[in-house]
Amino acid sequence: MDKKRVIGNLDNPGLPYEYDKREYGTVPLDTSRDPFQWVSEVAYKNTHRIVTRGYDTTELMEQGYGITDVMFINFQARIPTLAEDQMLNYILILSLEDGLSMPAAMSRMVARSKTFLTQACGTSILAFGHAYGAYSAFGNMLLSALEKGESEGKDIETIAKELVANKLGDPALGVSDLMLKDPAAKRIFARAEKLGVAGKYIAFTKEIVKAAQSASSTPVDLDLLAATGAVMMDLGFTPEATWSIIAITRSFGAGAHYIEEVEREEHTRLGESLTPKEMYDGPDDRPVPPLADRDKAATPAKTSTPDEWKAAFEERKKLHGSGFSIIEEIHDPSKKTGVKTLGKKI
Amino acid sequence: MTREPMLSRKTSIAYKTAEKTVLRGYDVSELAEEGYSFCDAMFVLFQGRIPSEKEEKMLKYEMGAFLEHSMSPSAASAIAVTAGRPNLPTAVAAGVMTFGGVHGPGAAHGYMMNKYITRAQREDKTLDEAAEILVDDYMDADQPVMGMGQPQHTDGDPRAEPIHLQQEELGTNGAYHEFQRSVEKHFHARRKREGKNYVGVNVVGAGNAALSDLGFAPNAAWCIGSVARGYSCATHAIFAMKKGRAWAASKREPMVQMLDLSMIKYVGPEDREVPTQEERQEYAEAQKKSGEYKKWVI
Repeated sequence: MDKKRVIGNLDNPGLPYEYDKREYGTVPLDTSRDPFQWVSEVAYKNTHRIVTRGYDTTELMEQGYGITDVMFINFQARIPTLAEDQMLNYILILSLEDGLSMPAAMSRMVARSKTFLTQACGTSILAFGHAYGAYSAFGNMLLSALEKGESEGKDIETIAKELVANKLGDPALGVSDLMLKDPAAKRIFARAEKLGVAGKYIAFTKEIVKAAQSASSTPVDLDLLAATGAVMMDLGFTPEATWSIIAITRSFGAGAHYIEEVEREEHTRLGESLTPKEMYDGPDDRPVPPLADRDKAATPAKTSTPDEWKAAFEERKKLHGSGFSIIEEIHDPSKKTGVKTLGKKI
Repeated sequence: MTREPMLSRKTSIAYKTAEKTVLRGYDVSELAEEGYSFCDAMFVLFQGRIPSEKEEKMLKYEMGAFLEHSMSPSAASAIAVTAGRPNLPTAVAAGVMTFGGVHGPGAAHGYMMNKYITRAQREDKTLDEAAEILVDDYMDADQPVMGMGQPQHTDGDPRAEPIHLQQEELGTNGAYHEFQRSVEKHFHARRKREGKNYVGVNVVGAGNAALSDLGFAPNAAWCIGSVARGYSCATHAIFAMKKGRAWAASKREPMVQMLDLSMIKYVGPEDREVPTQEERQEYAEAQKKSGEYKKWVI
């Protein structure tokens, strides 16, 4: 295409290329490499069969296997023992429902917009992060602590004490005051031991509980996160697999909450919900400056020196919702075991 | 720390105290301790009842059969979402959310069955007669009959007929099964009369009939199917995250990647020069007046 003119800064000699010489049009098919295909270690299908990890799924069902067996096959490429299958069923029952907690609330809020059930179920899965249902954080914490401690020749009691010294109070530790009166978490470990599926992760978590109880000034005990997380890892599921399995399982419960919300409550329309002024603590009501006076009213964000930057940063932190009082710790490339955390306040 | 619920609601599903979590009256820990299965708990969740052993077995079969479907819209979505390396639940949620009007339309199929069975009951027709009316209604309107056909399993969905047979073997087959079988019979007969090729029942048709006979409402059945698929979406997403390339566009891979630039085939308006702001108003008015743009509006 012949251009009649140069646009904006696109002929600026500061550009490292001649923008106007760049081609239009799509990139031709790359025939120098193998064509794109969906590569999978997990499953394939053809016109007549669906095969996961080598097993035809219809043949699996006809042989009497079921959904929990297929979870082992999908995530671990193996048939579980009967005890392992029983334990997974046990965990899933406890993970199915949690009353009006976040996944249910999120599902119900989506339901109010008059949506598909699947939107609400999917939304409920998003409730699982690094605080609520922190299975990835919990599991990877166990893995990295054990790897580091074992490489240094420490026993699990010592490793647990060191971990608790750093993590007491962290929602991903799995030891808290949430289940001081509810026996369900401890029953999970007891069942795992009775079924003979308890392994190193339950043993380590028990040491973490002991260390936390010793270090904490208030009563704490094993909670559902650590109980289910440790058992799932002893069943061979990775932290990521556990995270997704528990979140998905809760999504069935969230589906029931979607249904009940539609059955018993009203839909919400755009603009319907009000926010009373007594809930507001932002800037006082003020007149909108005339557009012609915008430069007088405007406060440019630009800073030029580190001191100016710091002062502006501190000032901006005072405005809730601006994002300046949240820091996300990024991976430190100088440390092999750097841990990324989200949403930590400065 | 507040332990107040996130929403204030009357609910007949569950309650949770510091001592226990209770689902439809049953302490979930006691359900698990007693040896009930996850599938048993699904009946408690959606129907408030303990199922018979055969009902539990049927649901176990159904959910197991539906869990994995390899490269379908749900798995593809989960894999695509991982390319940006968000938190894993994002990819899993995307997979579940692909279930809509075409991919696993479980609720719609259930409502369709209820509508025509209601008609049979009101108009004193047999299930078979109502099924024939359904087939004619849809085919006369040139609409696909829900529960029939699958774009990949063109010779018949490998899960569907075995689900029907399992239902019959376990004796959990009821009115829905009979109705669905009749839909298939009339569907096949009409296509044959019209000289059309064979299109088999799919997993929604067979599976939803089974779930309906187990007492699950259309949306509950849809939830069971679509969320069960979430487990395999998670597997595909984790595989892509752990063993695939982020961004899925690397030129260093021996195989062209999913988001390689060469995968783009553009069929939109020709390349054209951006008008200046001085030209803008006149240009925009002429463009709007010509109406040529309308063929691109989506």
